[in-house]
Amino acid sequence: MKSLISALVLAGLLAGCADTATVASIEDRAVPSKDAAKPSATSATTATTGSGTAAATAADAAKPAGKPTSIVETRPMVDPDTKVASLGASQGVAIGPDGKPLAAAGQAGTAGPDAAPVLDPKNPASPLAQRVLRFEYDSAAIRDEYRALLEAHAQYLKQQKAAKTILQGHADERGSREYNLALGQRRAESVYKALSLLGVADAQMEAVSFGEEKPVAEGHDEEAWQQNRRVEIVYEGE
Amino acid sequence: MMHRLLLVVLLALASPLCMAAMTIEIVGGALNRIPVAILPFTLSAPGATDPAAVVSGDLGRSGYFRLVDAQGVVSPESPQGLSLPTWKSRGADAVLMGQALPAANGRIEVRFWLFDAVRQSQLAALSYTTTPAGLRGVAHRIADVVHEKLLGEPGSYSGRIAYILKRPGRYELQVADADSQNAITVASSPEPLISPAWSPDGSKLAYVSFEDKKPVVYVQHLADGGRRAVARFRGSNSAPAWFPDGRRLAVTLSKDETSQIYFLNPDTGELTRFSRGGALDTEPVFSPDGRWMYFTSDRGGSPQIYRAELPGGQVSRVTFEGAYNVSPALSPDGNNLAFVHRRNGKFHIAVMDLNTRQMQVLTDTALDESPSFASNGRMILYATLVNGRGVLATVSVDGAVRQRLSQSGDLREPAWGP
Repeated sequence: MKSLISALVLAGLLAGCADTATVASIEDRAVPSKDAAKPSATSATTATTGSGTAAATAADAAKPAGKPTSIVETRPMVDPDTKVASLGASQGVAIGPDGKPLAAAGQAGTAGPDAAPVLDPKNPASPLAQRVLRFEYDSAAIRDEYRALLEAHAQYLKQQKAAKTILQGHADERGSREYNLALGQRRAESVYKALSLLGVADAQMEAVSFGEEKPVAEGHDEEAWQQNRRVEIVYEGE
Repeated sequence: MMHRLLLVVLLALASPLCMAAMTIEIVGGALNRIPVAILPFTLSAPGATDPAAVVSGDLGRSGYFRLVDAQGVVSPESPQGLSLPTWKSRGADAVLMGQALPAANGRIEVRFWLFDAVRQSQLAALSYTTTPAGLRGVAHRIADVVHEKLLGEPGSYSGRIAYILKRPGRYELQVADADSQNAITVASSPEPLISPAWSPDGSKLAYVSFEDKKPVVYVQHLADGGRRAVARFRGSNSAPAWFPDGRRLAVTLSKDETSQIYFLNPDTGELTRFSRGGALDTEPVFSPDGRWMYFTSDRGGSPQIYRAELPGGQVSRVTFEGAYNVSPALSPDGNNLAFVHRRNGKFHIAVMDLNTRQMQVLTDTALDESPSFASNGRMILYATLVNGRGVLATVSVDGAVRQRLSQSGDLREPAWGP
């Protein structure tokens, strides 16, 4: 996780663009600069209004002394691509420790009836490979169909006290991003409470939300929205 | 006042749009546009590009002005050489002319004059000195002056906007001029960035980043790009909004129970909880005088906008029409509330006059979000979806003037800067 934090590259700065720098030298709302004297407000001088000529356009009354200090040119723009290329997982598909995508909901049932009920989140034949719960519009109610799924994860977490899970809530794209974030959070908390009732310790779970930011289906119709209203159960280290 | 005269003069005129902006598509327009002739500036400074082009773009797409054709006109050497009756006869009620002259140290002096062609009088004469790269900024300020002199209220062409640009596998927080030009990426991440919020002095942006595989609130100083996580509690951290004094933030945290609003001092880490109860509270925003905090809550069964009198006082519901009203934004004078309103399954930008509580739906697009007011309080910037792609758009508070900023790429989450 730490490496992820440090991996975010900041392209930094209103610096790096000559235009802004010079705008700063004429705008009283300019970006303040620590090392630069605050640009003097503006060098505009109001001349007469009302009578016809321009004699009064005296320039430059408040021109900053010396060369305009550029907040722009002094700060190099860090290449935003350098450290971030390998992060992946940008489509909301949980990536397993082996680098392969974890089973999505559509494939969750493929373990087959004859698969041994091993409780191993890394084993695609395990009931724990089922990671996704879907929700109705504007709802955080867990459907009955997910009882077995939740019981399997609860059983695993109770057995493996060191295991930790992140419950990632999601919403469809309609409406406000922040409200959808809160809605996804409520869905994640709904799963959290269900697992808690099944005996999973608080310390083993965290409920977070991605709101509408990580759709699994990119469409703009009910079919896509249905798939995107979900909670994904992700294990730490995945 | 000039504008009153013009309104009288123009009462009978309903001019069609005569200028197609290159980057902005105008969807609607004011009934009566003031005809303005913007003469090409005389350019004697090396490296100077014509500010008239930028001024024309600003005013032309604002919906408030009609540009009288001045293409190919050779501007007079000085204002004394300008024939106002000639421009009046060509249909102009106002005439702008200007010069870009060489100044010391490679700088450029831009002089301009604005005339009332009807009264044959001068309305403004100003001079700016800048560097060649600062010419666009000067041109936006000239547009502000013209707007204010002719309409009697401030323009908002020289402001800045922040927004998120979604690229394949990457999210960029950008800051640009109000016309979406001069865009600069101030933060870039492979994980989503949302909810940029300007500090009141415009020096910082707070925003939510998912780089940690969960939403965390960051504050970034624009001058040096320095940034810091200010809310990274257990659960989700989001929806930053600055207090009007710029010293504290309201944020939505889920650390104690479902999404609730807290007040945070990012420098000391001091945190106080504002809301309580099992309902979902988020999207806090403050009235400019700091007296009220508006926010979204589903405490009444559907998401609606509420307000609380500060500090920590009585909460009352603000929106009642419809079952989905979210994303409150306040005008700089505190009189108007913009928000997202769902009607017939579509999400529109609406505005409410907080004095009369009258609500008006301003847009007819289906997936509008993130309204914010321009500094002059007359325009609302928002994001919408056109052909599956996020675009930024503005609408005037009376709904008369709409424009679409069609910068390439998938844009969302715009916020108009101070």
